[in-house]
Amino acid sequence: MISNLLKQFKSQTTTRKKIEVLKYDKSFRKFFIQFLFSIFMVIFLFYLISRAFSLELGFGHLSSRAGFGLSHTFIVEYTSNDSRWGAYFTGVVNTIRVSLVGIFFATLLGIVMGLARLSKNFLISKISAGYVEFLRNTPLLIQIIFWQLVLLQLPQISNALTFGGISVWSNRGILLPIISSVENGSLWVLILLLTLIASLFLRSYLHKFKEENVRIFSPNLLSVIFFLIIGIVTYFILGIDLRSDVPTLQVNEYGTYIQSGGFALTPEFAAILFALVLYTGTFITEIVRGSIQSLPIGQTEAAQALGLSTYQRITLVILPQALRSIIPPLTNQYLNLTKNSSLSVAIAYPDVFMVSRTIMNNAGHALPMLFLILITFLSLSLFISLFMNILNRRVTRIGT
Amino acid sequence: MLNYRNKAIVVISLLFSMFVIFACTAEETSSESSSGSNTLATIIDRGELVCGVNDNLTGFGVVNSAGQFEGFDIDFCKAVAAAILGDAGKVEYVPLTASARFEALAANEIDILIRNTTWTASRDRDLGNDFTAPTFYDGQGMMVKASSGYDSIESMAGSTVCVLQGTTTELNLDDRFTGSGIAYTPLTFETNDPLQAAYEEGRCDGWTTDKSGLASKRAGFSTPSDHVVLAETLSKEPLGPLTRDNDSELYDVVQWVVFGMMQAEESGITSSNVSSMASNPSDPGIARLLGVGFDGGEPSDFGFGINVDFMQNVISQVGNYGEVYESHLVPLGLTREGSLNAQWTEGGLIYAPPFR
Repeated sequence: MISNLLKQFKSQTTTRKKIEVLKYDKSFRKFFIQFLFSIFMVIFLFYLISRAFSLELGFGHLSSRAGFGLSHTFIVEYTSNDSRWGAYFTGVVNTIRVSLVGIFFATLLGIVMGLARLSKNFLISKISAGYVEFLRNTPLLIQIIFWQLVLLQLPQISNALTFGGISVWSNRGILLPIISSVENGSLWVLILLLTLIASLFLRSYLHKFKEENVRIFSPNLLSVIFFLIIGIVTYFILGIDLRSDVPTLQVNEYGTYIQSGGFALTPEFAAILFALVLYTGTFITEIVRGSIQSLPIGQTEAAQALGLSTYQRITLVILPQALRSIIPPLTNQYLNLTKNSSLSVAIAYPDVFMVSRTIMNNAGHALPMLFLILITFLSLSLFISLFMNILNRRVTRIGT
Repeated sequence: MLNYRNKAIVVISLLFSMFVIFACTAEETSSESSSGSNTLATIIDRGELVCGVNDNLTGFGVVNSAGQFEGFDIDFCKAVAAAILGDAGKVEYVPLTASARFEALAANEIDILIRNTTWTASRDRDLGNDFTAPTFYDGQGMMVKASSGYDSIESMAGSTVCVLQGTTTELNLDDRFTGSGIAYTPLTFETNDPLQAAYEEGRCDGWTTDKSGLASKRAGFSTPSDHVVLAETLSKEPLGPLTRDNDSELYDVVQWVVFGMMQAEESGITSSNVSSMASNPSDPGIARLLGVGFDGGEPSDFGFGINVDFMQNVISQVGNYGEVYESHLVPLGLTREGSLNAQWTEGGLIYAPPFR
């Protein structure tokens, strides 16, 4: 096509005619406009980049002393003497913490409510409908502040509920007794979790072996033994010393009430968690309901005709098929929940966004900080997407 | 044919709109240049002072139930208007948020800014402002519940403190506690309303911000006596009026109105006795301050570019420094005795350079 155009172009004698050839050639016209546009874009990008470089970029200011405290630290230790990187990292951990716990409970709530919405029981289906319609249509920020104010109505710390010394309930936090270890406790729990996942994989792998008529011990038993062996071996290697950690409420010499120990659920964390779970749960409810309703009614009827119970019908026939259309929009909701967790800036929960804002206010350098926040949220989102895509591939394989 | 007529209409309307735009910009630039350098002349021309204030801080600047602005900072706006225009009522108040205040001043939206603003080096130099004289020496303080029994920062070991996030207050707080090895938990809020709710519900033991702000919030509680502001001051916060950089005429007037009010208190001139003092000054110093002749002599003119007897208007219409303090800040519980805001003769920092 280009050679054709070139031939025509050369065959013309005058410049005016040559231009005319180009002017009336459709593909050249398109190319010319795109060429102009891309030149404009390149110049514009170059301008933006050169502007950005005239500002002071770089993360040098993050190495200096933070100088401010954080109310919530989880796994990582942080004091105001640490660098701003330390503060930022604490914020990242807090964001991941609230997002993961939120995703877990929102999924649970969404599936239960989605099934309830389809129930033939009038009360159950209406409760679910009311939940969805009420909470889906109010702003999340207001729900967060609402939950914070509700949780502040718990008794003040001076008359905290102690339930006979096993738990402390006040508006500084709800402390529950847990079993913990003096050292390496969280590391051991992490190892146990990883081992659990590994043994689940092992179990499905062994099941496949069994299907191919290989004589083998019960796969269930083998994977349980695998889990126990790893658990016990690491127990002794890490020197785990389990003891019960019962929360206490003490008064120090100046009359300050101090609650410590156990598993602490602070009002700030609880408020952002409740709001995120309840809000995202409404969308998941609708996704579950929609996916189930999109299945042909024949699937239900066939399951009933086979004499399956309601529980069997849902877990063996309906949900596995519905999962195919549930997971892609569910991924979206998980990403939304993670991003919405940055609203916790309103209620004193130090997530990554709040910590970054404090750093920006103290040290300036807003552009690099915003870039860092974007990278952080992008990584979190990509990680969730990756995980969900793997899950999706597994689910869509079922029954094919 | 129709096509040409349409084109002609478009061209003519374009030309017309361009003309209008040019006319507007020309007008704007001309008015800009007349008001740019000498704000004092602009105020006199306009017959009104435009003052940037706070409208939400009891005692300093607040709108009362009658819809009028009142407070300590507001009275200094009135004093400047009385000095320049002879009438304390000729003020237009522009309520501003903390983050918008310096931009409003830089953009000529207001003539002076009197909005509990701390004098710092970066604000004076980087932001292009000129601070006149501090009218109130503030400091960061700590408010606790009276029933808690706290009497010092040291006694607050293990407590939780509510603070606004990203403020210098947050950093001062950590310097004080961590610097002294006192364990504490900061709870940092973005805005004051959820912070106040958390403090009232006992989520935190203390609330820290400027002492004047604490006194103002304390006065707003249903029973103020349930709350105590600890004596210790965590940082220096001198508050005062400010003008734009290189606006010397107005700057000098504002500065010397403030000094004049302090000097009047020192010399015992109040709003009730100013007229008798002016007609029969007891010493040459008072005569110079009030812009009248002593013992039949000529009044001294300092060349401020306003009436020589401007301090008479200020004191008769607004009062001296002590009277203004008494009427707005004492009701909040900010007593003067023993504080930095006492007269220098009584050990405070309220000190006016000589009026001569």
